[in-house]
Amino acid sequence: MRKLFKILGKIAGILAGLYALLFAVFYFDLDGKLLYYVVEPFLCKHYDKMERQDVTKRAYKVD
Amino acid sequence: MDKAKMKKALKDFWYGKPHGERRLGDLLEDKTGLYKHREWRGVKDTMYYFNNIWLYNYGMMVADILKSEEPLAFFKGVWRYRWVGQTYLPVLHWFDRGLQGLRGEALRASAWHYRGMVSVTIQQFQRMFAADTRLHGGKQNDYYNHTIAHKETVWGGVFYPWADKYKHVPLEMIPYFVTCHVNSHTVLNYIDAVQSIGLPGDPCPMCQAEAGIFVQDDVPDYSPMFITSNEACDASVASTALQDWFFDKPLYAMPQPMQFDDPLVKKHCAKEIEGAWKFVEEMTGVPFNWDQLVKNLEAQNELQRFEWEKWDVAANTDYYPINGVAQALYRIYQSQYGENFIWHEVDARVRKIMERCVKNKTVSFPETRHRVIAWSCAPLYFSNWCTWAYNCWGLNVVINMDSLMFDMTIRTDSYENTLEDMAQYHMWAPMRRMAVGGMHHFFELWKYMEQFNCDMVAMYDQLQCKGAQGMHGVFEDEFRKRNIHAFWIPHALPDSRTVSRAEIRRIINDYMTTVMHEEPLDPSLLEYDDSMSW
Repeated sequence: MRKLFKILGKIAGILAGLYALLFAVFYFDLDGKLLYYVVEPFLCKHYDKMERQDVTKRAYKVD
Repeated sequence: MDKAKMKKALKDFWYGKPHGERRLGDLLEDKTGLYKHREWRGVKDTMYYFNNIWLYNYGMMVADILKSEEPLAFFKGVWRYRWVGQTYLPVLHWFDRGLQGLRGEALRASAWHYRGMVSVTIQQFQRMFAADTRLHGGKQNDYYNHTIAHKETVWGGVFYPWADKYKHVPLEMIPYFVTCHVNSHTVLNYIDAVQSIGLPGDPCPMCQAEAGIFVQDDVPDYSPMFITSNEACDASVASTALQDWFFDKPLYAMPQPMQFDDPLVKKHCAKEIEGAWKFVEEMTGVPFNWDQLVKNLEAQNELQRFEWEKWDVAANTDYYPINGVAQALYRIYQSQYGENFIWHEVDARVRKIMERCVKNKTVSFPETRHRVIAWSCAPLYFSNWCTWAYNCWGLNVVINMDSLMFDMTIRTDSYENTLEDMAQYHMWAPMRRMAVGGMHHFFELWKYMEQFNCDMVAMYDQLQCKGAQGMHGVFEDEFRKRNIHAFWIPHALPDSRTVSRAEIRRIINDYMTTVMHEEPLDPSLLEYDDSMSW
């Protein structure tokens, strides 16, 4: 029984720690900063160098 | 720290600072508009924001993707399409900008509106990706063959007769319209792209961007057909011609009349809708289903009836718990996209909050100095200007033009009546009824101003809309004649480079100080640099 409580206590501790960590991410806008300074520039670099079809080369068919 | 200071600090921690002491501008990083730290709204509201808005919505976004047709297609879509990768990841910052400074019931009710919009957005782009031949090695799968593509200004209700078998997804609503609100950077790529092939810079930037998505080869191929319209104006006709060229699919053009008071015009419009139905029947091989149409229209009517209840509370009490930006965006999204289960879920939540506010006489925006009606088309990159205006000046935007356009339910008692009402609804399209749809409707402003007990007008001035520009001087004359306080908000719809957010704030600040002789509630919000903000 004591072992079970110990395990449950540990789980509760881990969950509380995770919750506190998430609150820190929220409060200090770390999600915004990660997306703004890391994710968006990385994705934009990828989109900028992507090969794209030149759609103006397509014939315009009017039927 | 002396005892009084300690007591005050504890009180501020527990309840949050009073409005005049918040200094919300100091929370923002220079240029990026990111938060040094998010706002402390007191224990109860901060924990509500953290648990029920921030955590909940991140979780629900994942859940929405997992519940969709093909969850893994999300990653393929993010990798392939700029408009989803660049835009929708920072969506919680969009919440932050719109909900800044809100407390209590107003925070709760407004946030639910954002949840509805996020959910219906995910439903649409996930359907696009599941059906997209570009993400499936050129294969036209079952989703592709069961999806109807249409221009975002074609009301989704036109496709209700096939709602049990087909999903309709507007072509530009997600790649263009919603992106501008969430991340204003994305759309600039598309405006520049269409100008790079020779289009001049002065047509409506909305139509430019809608065509530019194609020029950038950034459109999913998710449907075998396409229904277009001429809405809002001749620039839209031009963008449809470009879309026809680049999309290269069987197309039905369903124009909306510029002047729609004439009964003959309504008959013509009804015929156009029937033409679209015939086109869908021919393309799908599935006959028009009257029962499905009625079922969905009835559901939409239910949404409209609740909207009228909301307007009633907004117009006649101080207890309306929805802020200006949540009201505007949710309503135009809901009324234009059409029936969806999430609108009913959101409305049920909002109803509870609103009824509680009325019962308890909760004044949701206690610092209101002026009740404002916002008229004409809003700047998409600064739709949250009204959140700023309330925090800085106590300007409470109670209602706006976009909310009021579809002011009707649709009869379902006979085919003729239904078609007649659908034609009316279709003709009252965004930017048509009260922006470029003729003098009479443009001036419905006075009626609604009185109905909603407003004492001030925020008049949007879309610099590249020739229709609205033509009315500028007439409005000026009318404001003077009627002795109405009104300030103009110049903008270029999605293009934040033409008139910046800082410039819009400066114009309002000037009006409030030089004309109204008022002091700001939060001076830290008067001037700040958010030029590189999402």
